[in-house]
Amino acid sequence: MQKRRKKRLAKTGPLLLIAAPGLLYLLINNYLPMFGVFLAFKDFNYIKGIFGSDWNGLENFRFLFRTRDAWIMTRNTLLYNAAFIVIGTVVAIFVAILIYELGKKRRVRLFQSALMLPNLFSWVVIGFIVYAFLNADTGFINNTVLKALHITPISWYSTTGPWPFLLVLVYLWKFTGYLSIVYVASIAGIDKSVYEAAQLDGASKIQQIMRVTVPLLKPTIILMTLMAVGRIFYSDFGLFYQVPQNSGRLFDVTQTIDTYVYRGLMELNDVGMSAAAALYQSVVGFMLVLGANTLVRKLDHENALF
Amino acid sequence: MKSLQRLSKVIVSTLLALSLVLGMAGAATAETQYDKIVYAYATFNNIPDTETLATVEEAINAITRDAIGAEVTLKPIVIWDYSSAISLAMQGGEKIDVFQSLGDLNTAISTSMALDITDLMDEYAAESKALIGENWLAACSHEGRLYGIPTFKPIALTPMIIYRQDIVDELGLDMSAVNSVQDVTAVLQAVKDAKPDMTPLAAVNTGNIGLGLTVPDVDYLTDNYYYPKGVLMNDELTVVDYYASQQFADTCALARTWFNNGLVMKDAATTSSTAAELMASGNYFAYIASYSYPEKDTAASLEALGGGFKLGAKIIGSAFLDTTSINALSWMVASTSTVPEKALQFLNLTFTDPQVVNLIIYGLEGRDYVNNGDGTVSYPEGHDASTVPYTAQLSCGTLGNFFIMYPMAGTDPESLVWELEQNQNAKTSVAMGFTFDSSSVKTEYTAVTNVIDQYLPALICGSVDPTTEIPVFLQRLEEAGLNEIIAAKQAQLDAWVAAN
Repeated sequence: MQKRRKKRLAKTGPLLLIAAPGLLYLLINNYLPMFGVFLAFKDFNYIKGIFGSDWNGLENFRFLFRTRDAWIMTRNTLLYNAAFIVIGTVVAIFVAILIYELGKKRRVRLFQSALMLPNLFSWVVIGFIVYAFLNADTGFINNTVLKALHITPISWYSTTGPWPFLLVLVYLWKFTGYLSIVYVASIAGIDKSVYEAAQLDGASKIQQIMRVTVPLLKPTIILMTLMAVGRIFYSDFGLFYQVPQNSGRLFDVTQTIDTYVYRGLMELNDVGMSAAAALYQSVVGFMLVLGANTLVRKLDHENALF
Repeated sequence: MKSLQRLSKVIVSTLLALSLVLGMAGAATAETQYDKIVYAYATFNNIPDTETLATVEEAINAITRDAIGAEVTLKPIVIWDYSSAISLAMQGGEKIDVFQSLGDLNTAISTSMALDITDLMDEYAAESKALIGENWLAACSHEGRLYGIPTFKPIALTPMIIYRQDIVDELGLDMSAVNSVQDVTAVLQAVKDAKPDMTPLAAVNTGNIGLGLTVPDVDYLTDNYYYPKGVLMNDELTVVDYYASQQFADTCALARTWFNNGLVMKDAATTSSTAAELMASGNYFAYIASYSYPEKDTAASLEALGGGFKLGAKIIGSAFLDTTSINALSWMVASTSTVPEKALQFLNLTFTDPQVVNLIIYGLEGRDYVNNGDGTVSYPEGHDASTVPYTAQLSCGTLGNFFIMYPMAGTDPESLVWELEQNQNAKTSVAMGFTFDSSSVKTEYTAVTNVIDQYLPALICGSVDPTTEIPVFLQRLEEAGLNEIIAAKQAQLDAWVAAN
């Protein structure tokens, strides 16, 4: 028994040692700061410090639920993320299949890289690209497209209607290339003999995709979705803040938990309330991951994350 | 053989792990016998590199070693990051001894970032105390205790219209007849008629076409100009809802007429361009903003920012001083400082010692600036603010004593007289010296700030109809708890009146 354990340690020891700095980093960077959750329940005071400051119960959380904005921002955060997960996954898989079917030619690779490019832009830059299109005075849409169609110009940054679609569109433009990489890799990993067998059985190209590729992608899809669900309570700050140019008129459709907290605390610089907002997002996110995983385990035991 | 292989495996992995860890280790520093003071200031200019900073520090230290027996470390922080950087640094236990407020003195006091310096002033900063005077110092006090020293500079902000002189000349407009914000309409209309392709009025910055500060005699009671909550108006000591006032409704109505007649840029509520950029594009005629310099100087210094057009300025309102206008930029000793006496002594020097303050603003003579012999300074031949190794020139109005700094070439010495006069003669609020502590209504503040963000820019820029939007706005403000803020302000104000 003892001997076996020693043997195992000798085998895994060096590997553990290599992992050690990484684990240490994770501990210092991701676990130690968790002590900061204290702050969510404290009335922070610089002289008294983190541990000395007075407790104030759930007072710091109150601002999140103070107004009807609480409902609006929670709804926006959840619905946009749900839309991103569903539409994003479908489009990414679609693009991945197309890219894979085109083969490994050089121009396909070039095309794939081009799809990746928007992912490297910062939201500020993307915000201005969108602005160049939608600007009320000189924008491309108002000045060229709508003019040619003889439609009266729209004041885009004060009209809420189109924004849910615009935001999803911008999201897809930025992330599709990136998301599809994972799926391209997964498809490439599928055993070719399965397709050969399907071909012999007379399956058409569409049938091969629907009956072979998609089912075999299921583990990847589940993994990616579970990871996304964990962050469903977080919103991409840049997307919701920079792209609508922080326009007040659009808050009903662009306000998310992150932007609300940012706007509310810009003036106050309050440590306790920021910590409370972050804790709230983390806890709900954590519960959602557990919930989603339980669901997956029930439906399909093999593919559950844990 | 096998054990050798295993051994080498262990060695290689140990080395790998070690190299990762060692890469993160830093080096220790030597210590000196002088007390060290870290002076953190906001800069609008480039952040100089460490070596350049060290040369300026050395020149300052040559003075401070003898004067106060301490050495200074300069810590310039870009203005946009300043408040959060200071807050994080102090939480993290980083050494900061002297820091400033950017409209948030209130927060610094309520969270104990600022040290109570009441009892230290007479011994360590007597000259500053005499220079600034009790009236202004009262603006940095809370419950009778002093927490900061306000920057000594032209403070009275006077609303002005900044316009393209070439267009005024071309169209023969008479700017001297423009004395109020209502008079501006006719000028904008004349420009629009003559040059239909031009947008007459540009935004100052996001959601601000400069109209906010043209509402006269408002004491913002410790809120910043962009988010007024409960305010004092008409010299009365009753806290009122700014947005429910007739003046606010009138201002929005004026903005709306401008918007409908195409006199103001359509995207003013959301643009992220600043007035200077917009003017430089050549498509705009004017903008409205508040400055603390005389008309001629304002126009000259704005012209120097680039854009290539000749600019003029005309005052269209009067200055008004409330507590916030004085303490918005004030200097504090950090509560976490281990050498508060030395820190205060150094702070005192920035108000009284021209050499020290000019070193902080302009850097080293010869390298960063040259003296023109007539008391003014310029950048060395072939250099400007962005190419000299060190300059914090744009911070000149935010630190120490503005009146002992070298003026830049082109400034009229008479201006200083005008500015001092404005400071002394500007109308002051009835509640001068009162500061509001928002800690009891923090939740309401966050909620109300969000509502203001949503409605105010569009209203004040004219993009929505005030007759229908203001009632909705008021309703939302009430839901968010504005009345609780007003009540809290009134209670604290009453207590303050009773005590004074």
